[in-house]
Amino acid sequence: MHLLLVGISHRTAPVELRERVDFQARGVELALRTLASRHPGGQSGEIAVLSTCNRAELYMACDDVGAARRELLSFVSAFHDVDAGAIEPHVYDVADLEAARHLFRVAAGLDSLVVGEPQILGQVKEAHSAARQAETAGPLLNRLFHACFAVGKRVRTETNLGSGAVSVGYAAVALARKIFGDLQGRNVVVLGAGEMGKLTAQHMKSQGVKQVTIVSRTMAHAARTAEAIGGAIAARWEDMDAALAAADIVITATGATTPILTKAHVESVMRPRRGRPLFVIDIAVPRDVESAAGEIEGVFLYNIDDLQASVRENLAKRASEVERAEKIVDEELGKFAAWLRSRGVIPTVVALRQSFESIRKAELERLDFKLSGLPPEARDEARARLDEITHLLVEKLLLTPTEQLKGLADPETATMYAEAVTRVFGLDEEQKSGKVEQFRPKSGRQR
Amino acid sequence: MNLVPLALYAAAFIGYALHFARRTPVSARLATTTLAAATLAHTFIIGMQTMEVGQVPVFGMASAVSMFVWLLAVAYLYMEVTTDERAMGVFILPLIIALQAIPAFSAASTIRPAVLRGPLFGIHVSSLLFAYASFALACVIGITYVLLFKEIKTKHLGVFYARLPSLQVLDQMNQRAIIVGWVFLTVGLVAGVVFAIEAHVPSMLSLEDPKIFVALISWVVYSFELFAARRIGWAGRRAAYLSALGFAIVLLNFVPISYLTSNHKF
Repeated sequence: MHLLLVGISHRTAPVELRERVDFQARGVELALRTLASRHPGGQSGEIAVLSTCNRAELYMACDDVGAARRELLSFVSAFHDVDAGAIEPHVYDVADLEAARHLFRVAAGLDSLVVGEPQILGQVKEAHSAARQAETAGPLLNRLFHACFAVGKRVRTETNLGSGAVSVGYAAVALARKIFGDLQGRNVVVLGAGEMGKLTAQHMKSQGVKQVTIVSRTMAHAARTAEAIGGAIAARWEDMDAALAAADIVITATGATTPILTKAHVESVMRPRRGRPLFVIDIAVPRDVESAAGEIEGVFLYNIDDLQASVRENLAKRASEVERAEKIVDEELGKFAAWLRSRGVIPTVVALRQSFESIRKAELERLDFKLSGLPPEARDEARARLDEITHLLVEKLLLTPTEQLKGLADPETATMYAEAVTRVFGLDEEQKSGKVEQFRPKSGRQR
Repeated sequence: MNLVPLALYAAAFIGYALHFARRTPVSARLATTTLAAATLAHTFIIGMQTMEVGQVPVFGMASAVSMFVWLLAVAYLYMEVTTDERAMGVFILPLIIALQAIPAFSAASTIRPAVLRGPLFGIHVSSLLFAYASFALACVIGITYVLLFKEIKTKHLGVFYARLPSLQVLDQMNQRAIIVGWVFLTVGLVAGVVFAIEAHVPSMLSLEDPKIFVALISWVVYSFELFAARRIGWAGRRAAYLSALGFAIVLLNFVPISYLTSNHKF
């Protein structure tokens, strides 16, 4: 049994293609059911689909990797009605441990467009639960996904891969939080009705600020932007000082070529505030606020360059954490690999145990007549005792060989040992003669 | 005997420093547990001394400082539990350790003169010690405020930016500690005056007693800080500086002046 991954992501495919191969839009469950009914590359039926705006990946357990890959491609092409030739050049496919490594890195946020972004782990969890709902998650995929959740969790708690704001909007919000603590009950004033100001204000609004006021030279523009933000109010340019007096956070984003807020102006605004701090975010280019205004006590002035510098610094910090995250991926991959290896000898172990058990049962039956001389009660007790003793005996005899087989590290040795055990105990013949039940993995079972 | 809590406080400092550097849940638990153990050991020792002398040991500088350290540790632990903020521990523990070294390496409680008994004396000393502990907390919070303020103002976001709570929270914590301290300082001073009058030792009320003089100055400083924060907007950084100044005066009263004064050793 192999683990196969076939997919496209922001690393390999343009957004136009990713948009077309969007499983979320067409229904992940439908895709899973359709695909499972086609049994690509073997009979396992274990399939999961991970679909986000940056990637579409199919994970599956199969016997024939080459056949499964072809099947998956033709399925994706048919399901999304995209020419296979258009997808093919952008597809990557990896098998077994490399596929597992890929999923581990995805769950850790290492493969994301913005390294360390937090949403991906939730999306991976959704992919797993969708597969479970569609009953296409078996022992292999269950184990794989649980292992990748462990990776995601460890990377989040043991490294700083996801810390620090990595967009200008987030950086502004993070700073505001460091100054004011909770942003609820805070007033935000935006000077200028342009796109940049609107985006930053929306960001603030989503953090639960009390009020957003848009001040623009053209009242109609201010009203339009206020409406677009939702719940914001518009104010006239002449009322700017009144708005500033009530503000905690000021975002300036006008197209003016000379500063709108001079140091003297800000000083006059600060005087009646009695030390109440003012956070000024100047995202306009050229700048709207005189840089000397930042010298005033209680004024925290950040311009677009400062915010971008903070973003760059955070990105650099994240990059320095990548190595630690990769180490965690390696560690968890080692554990998963050990599990995979132990899984290879399981049919042999099961066959061996079943063979011993059938011998035990046959002997008990054969010798049962020897107990017939005993009175009924004593006979039942003797049977129970015999059953218990022989059961324990078989368990003890099998304990060491089972552990030894499961503990074999190298897959080739494991195969060799499994074959040897099969030959020595005649497990093949027993299987052929129907004495031993065929091993079938139970869906959803964890080892 | 005071060596055991001193050693434990030192261990707690290592714990808080470790937590400041690593910020893991394990280091957080380790730091708090060690400090709690240190405080418990300290409680036990103060309890034993109380049994021995028959009254709470606050007479004599060593005992008073030991009591003060204990109050500071309890106040800090209370703050930590209620706010779940541990970054301050690394600042408060050096002060605790430095002060605890005094009782740890000096003679045990002095015999108390008969005149210094009664509930009023107890209120006077314990109120003042509690006030000083609050001011110590306010001072440390104020220092961290200034450190964070500087990082944000100069746009060099670094160690403190990543670890300390927001300026607003620090300012509130500082204000709260000052209010509590001011109330106890006032109660303690009034109790001292009433006690001196009742005990017929007016000499104790002289402003020439450096301890009384300095205590009054600290009262003026903290009263001004409270007034300024409300009336002229001296919150934030200025309040933080005043908290540090106030505690410097308190500390002056506490250690060097206790060596100078002959009869006001508490």
